[in-house]
Amino acid sequence: MLTDFLQLTVAGLSQGSVYALLAVGLIAVYTVRHIVNIAQGEFAMLAGIGGAWLTAAGMPLILAILVAIFSVILVAIAMERLIIARVKNLTTLFSMIVTLSVSILLQAIMLLVWGPEARGLPRFPGENLLIGGVSIRSQELWMLGALVVVGGGIMLFYEKTRWGKALRACAEQPIAARIVGISPVMASVMAFAIAGFVGAVAGVVSSPIALSLWSGGLLLGLKGFVAAILGGFSSFRAAIVGALLLGVIEAYVAGYVASGLRDGVAFLILILVLTFRTQGLVLKPTAVRV
Amino acid sequence: MKHSRMRLFAPVVIATALVLAGCSTSNLGGTSDADKSGDSGPIKIGAVLDITGVGASLGVPEQNTLQMLADQLKADGGINGRDVELIIVDDQSTEDGAAKATAKLIESDNVDLIIGASRTGPSLAMRPLAEAAEIPLISVAANAAIVDGAKWVFKTTQNDVTVLETILNDAEKKGYTKLALVRDATGFGEGIADYITQLGADRGITLVTTEAFEPSATDFTPQMTNIRSSDADAVIIWGINPAAGLAQKAYVQLGVNKPVYQSHGIANQAFFDAAGPSADGVIAAMGRLLVTEQLDADNPQRPVIEKFQADYSEAFGEQPSTFGGHAFDAWHIAVNAIEKAGTDPNALRDELEQAEFVGISGVYKMTPENHSGLTASALILAEARGGSWTLLKD
Amino acid sequence: MTDSTAPTFVGNLTPRKRFWATNRGTVIGCSILVVVAIIIPFTASASMMNVAVFAMIFALPAIGLSLLMGLAGQVSLGQAAFFGIGAYTHAILLTKFDVSGPIAATAGVLAAMFVALLVGLPLMRLRGHYLALATLGLGFIVMITAREWDFTGRTTGIFGIARPVVFGIPIDNNGLFFWFVTPFVVLGLIVALNLTHSRAGRALSAVNDSELAAESLGVSTYALRLKVLVLSAGFAGLGGVFYAYQVAIVSPQIAGFNVSVEFLLMVVIGGLGSVWGALAGAFLIEFLGEGMSELIPALIPGATGEVQLLGYGIVLVLVILLLPGGLVQATTALWRWFLAKLPSRPVATRAEGDDIAVNDTAVNDTAVNDTASDALPKVSAPLAPGESILEISGLTMRYGGVVALDSVNLTVPAGTILGLIGPNGAGKTTCFNIISGALAPTSGTVTFLGRTISGRKPHVAASHGLTRTFQNLQIFSSTDVVGNVYMGRYRQGRAGILRGMLGLQAHEQRSNRGVAHDILQSMNLTDVAHEDAGSLPFGRQRMMEVCRALAAEPALLLLDEPMAGLSGAERDVLAELLRSLRDAGLTILLVEHDVAQVMSLADHVAVLDDGVLIAHGEPEIVRNDPAVIAAYLGTDVDEAETELIDLEGHA
Repeated sequence: MLTDFLQLTVAGLSQGSVYALLAVGLIAVYTVRHIVNIAQGEFAMLAGIGGAWLTAAGMPLILAILVAIFSVILVAIAMERLIIARVKNLTTLFSMIVTLSVSILLQAIMLLVWGPEARGLPRFPGENLLIGGVSIRSQELWMLGALVVVGGGIMLFYEKTRWGKALRACAEQPIAARIVGISPVMASVMAFAIAGFVGAVAGVVSSPIALSLWSGGLLLGLKGFVAAILGGFSSFRAAIVGALLLGVIEAYVAGYVASGLRDGVAFLILILVLTFRTQGLVLKPTAVRV
Repeated sequence: MKHSRMRLFAPVVIATALVLAGCSTSNLGGTSDADKSGDSGPIKIGAVLDITGVGASLGVPEQNTLQMLADQLKADGGINGRDVELIIVDDQSTEDGAAKATAKLIESDNVDLIIGASRTGPSLAMRPLAEAAEIPLISVAANAAIVDGAKWVFKTTQNDVTVLETILNDAEKKGYTKLALVRDATGFGEGIADYITQLGADRGITLVTTEAFEPSATDFTPQMTNIRSSDADAVIIWGINPAAGLAQKAYVQLGVNKPVYQSHGIANQAFFDAAGPSADGVIAAMGRLLVTEQLDADNPQRPVIEKFQADYSEAFGEQPSTFGGHAFDAWHIAVNAIEKAGTDPNALRDELEQAEFVGISGVYKMTPENHSGLTASALILAEARGGSWTLLKD
Repeated sequence: MTDSTAPTFVGNLTPRKRFWATNRGTVIGCSILVVVAIIIPFTASASMMNVAVFAMIFALPAIGLSLLMGLAGQVSLGQAAFFGIGAYTHAILLTKFDVSGPIAATAGVLAAMFVALLVGLPLMRLRGHYLALATLGLGFIVMITAREWDFTGRTTGIFGIARPVVFGIPIDNNGLFFWFVTPFVVLGLIVALNLTHSRAGRALSAVNDSELAAESLGVSTYALRLKVLVLSAGFAGLGGVFYAYQVAIVSPQIAGFNVSVEFLLMVVIGGLGSVWGALAGAFLIEFLGEGMSELIPALIPGATGEVQLLGYGIVLVLVILLLPGGLVQATTALWRWFLAKLPSRPVATRAEGDDIAVNDTAVNDTAVNDTASDALPKVSAPLAPGESILEISGLTMRYGGVVALDSVNLTVPAGTILGLIGPNGAGKTTCFNIISGALAPTSGTVTFLGRTISGRKPHVAASHGLTRTFQNLQIFSSTDVVGNVYMGRYRQGRAGILRGMLGLQAHEQRSNRGVAHDILQSMNLTDVAHEDAGSLPFGRQRMMEVCRALAAEPALLLLDEPMAGLSGAERDVLAELLRSLRDAGLTILLVEHDVAQVMSLADHVAVLDDGVLIAHGEPEIVRNDPAVIAAYLGTDVDEAETELIDLEGHA
């Protein structure tokens, strides 16, 4: 029984680390533009499918990963420059519709270019472990490692560097950002680049075991959104904790209740959190963002 | 402004009306201006397929197959000297799309027979329309509910029950008494657990645990963890690719050491793409399409399948899939019946109820009670070895 | 004040003509629709007929969504969830419980509305993107529930739904079904159009322009938005009922995300918030979808799968970037261009076009010329002059470590003008916002007419007769000047959403329009009554805001720097008006930088400095209070006095 429990926990944590990276991307954009980027999950799928296609074409794994991540960052910046920035009156309503349409557009492009089949990158180097009956796949360690390195790196950037702090303050205090030399345009581009980067990292590390599918981004992005909500849409730490928690809860529900209900859990949590605790897991809300 | 805006819409509304105003077919249930093709003129066969949308991986090979067969028939001079016209309509993989497509075929194209749809939902949406219009419908989807109690509806795919019978017979022979099931959470895997319980009762087999997964699922750890801790002798994984292949992979990675049966849903290359070396040793029940060259030389299906494979790969540069086979069977059953009975709906229907045909998916024998026509003999068991299927002889 | 080109005053017409004048648009539009709907089954080809039937069915959820987006300013990405709930409820009742059609259909609609209520109760309190994502989640939950539950037939769904029978006629073909749906769509259109023109509809569109201002006029945003969400779900549920009838099978993908996106697309393409646009959008998208699945594979060889998505994505992006107003904007632009191309009678046509709008919102001067131009707006005087109408006690406000207000106590007698002054950052605006309900105090209470209003939402104070203006103007830019002032009458109306939908508030609306016009006259704004509020010069916008506040017939009027940006003449008009209103019994509290104006206008002056009330009394006394001079103008009394004189002279 304990073995099962630990097995589910491992699966939940590795899945949760993907949600966590997506949540980081969502919050990065939200703090600067007050936009919920529905296309966040598509960044992950794009990187996964693109990377898989490159390796299938003979490119070495590490190079394919770098090219995929870099391309997705460019796509994210293009999305900001070519579409988001050009909407004249970007109300909340319009921002939802715009990012939704980008999400649909990216899905359609993936479908038309690479077809409807799921694709996966080759497994990253490493050996699967079997500890006390609990099987830990090497890729799961890569997923958790990506969260620690990339998620932690982004957090350090925001909390320790001048640019990071200015970027965080950007929405509330544009002047502070300007002092450091970040114009609103620059801030917005940087936020989308960060979102593209973390999304792409999540996509490539999960692709070898979870595969990337043209239509898989929406649900993944929504899970990231639920995690971001758990972080009150402002705290990276709370969102990452929320994401890991969400991954684990999903695994327990699938394992102990019914696997068909797995995807419903996230949305039940979403509605419950919005109903009873808008600030999510954040203990001391710093600003009202209702 | 609000009201003047409305005025601006008046032209739009009128324009819409003008667009809608086409020919003068009656939409009100009266007789159509061009009645059924009668006994002369071209024979019209309609097809409603999932060409776009979620069912595209089924609908596209079906479309290819039907188009290819129609062209062949045209070159051969049609049926009894009458041309055969094939009208394929895309239902976009939705129920309302299927209903729209069927109504169009019946009301404006006046077809004599309809093939479709690719999946159960759209087929069920077509059924009442075909029954009401009294036009024969041959579905290429799996669920037995499509033909259950139907007067005008037939289908060409194996019933799930026959697949399970094949698997359970093998399990009984090997002495397995406890089975676990990991099934697709959508229509394809629905009702499988009940069938196993029913069919297993005679064979001394019980179902000890059931797990489900989404067709889009990528993580199977919870399901396989539960399977691992169950006391089953063998496991049935029931799904379509890539999920079924991924499930197989997770199964091996999590160190579950029990024999695995898989369904006919995995019978294509995608299974090996997804499962990789984990596929080795899997036993699957399927039609004979994938093991043609291993069949006995005197197997009646062998020449039919070989010709289909040759024609299809010549026309489309790839091997045909099982789904193309379903369409192949539906087309030939329809054409044979029309050849014998003409296009009078009642005569055609009666002829279909006694159709016999050696096809891709098996040897058909329709009866008034059985509109599906396939038995367990349609299926073989094959084992995955090194990326291809090996026929298991009895 | 007689204007020969002005339209007829609706109030002078006989009831029948009056109905015609106010409902002409709806009547003409729906009549055309009905005629077209009757003709279509005789003329359309079978495949066109098919598409038309589904367009009609999908128009219902689209109309509902357009109400939600246009009126409540919220977007639902899960409209298909309500559509699915309606369809499933209907189908299950019909097939499993043999319930009669009308009852099953009603239950379907009610079920959708009930779920919307459950979801909306907590979520409509939140602004922004929360509702959108929660409804998106709801769509998934409905889909998963339907798929996992035996009762809903799992993945296969519910099938075998019999065709409806109406008055003994089985609706067993597309033509009859089209006629079966159309009356419901027409009724839905009428209800939706009435609602957008109703008191509630105007209030909601005001909320979208400025939630702050709308609430200060007594609009309870939350309750209205919740009602619109529930209504919108009802439309979707009704659409689901017809869908179940037509397709004869309901399966889980009915609540799928793609269906929700299609509804959204219909509304966006039709024109956000336009009811007719939603109908047009439904037809356009249905035909577009038909064409797209053939066009895209033709353009991109080998494309399979959900290729319509590409078209939807491109169309959505282009519409938002280039044509944010959708079909409505396009048609309006085309119509204008068409009129401009007609040299013969463009002016006449324009005027006629305007008549309709004007009839709806305006009043002819001649109709009210018995009320002289110096007529005074009505005020309510619930207390005798001198009695205490507003009491502020111990009011404290802290922002983190900063104390913005520190135990302020103040009593305002009815029928007087109190000026609140103080240097920048003294806490005047904070104090003001707490009184009006825009802010909740850290501690202390505000009592208005004996009721505690502090910490409540602005609409609570407003409903008891307290209205305000704003230092940073909060105008309703989507309507004209008279429309803005008209919104001030919100508190006087009673018609709710239900009466609005049924169009049963014409009388109320007419009398309110009359009042709105009177008030504009008292401030010399009649000449711009029908101009867009956003296009007025700053000073006149400020005057208009005062008119709007007065239209509410307040007992206490809060004016936040009303003189700022006004010309000298405008200041005189306003000051004179305020004095007359005070004499008529109105209590006025004003914050003002213009010290001279305050001193000459106010009966009492209160001075705040650093959040502390340092003086309160008659202007002469306060002016000479050394503490005030020191705090307000600096420590050097002589210098301060010169500065004060300077200030007054400057003004």
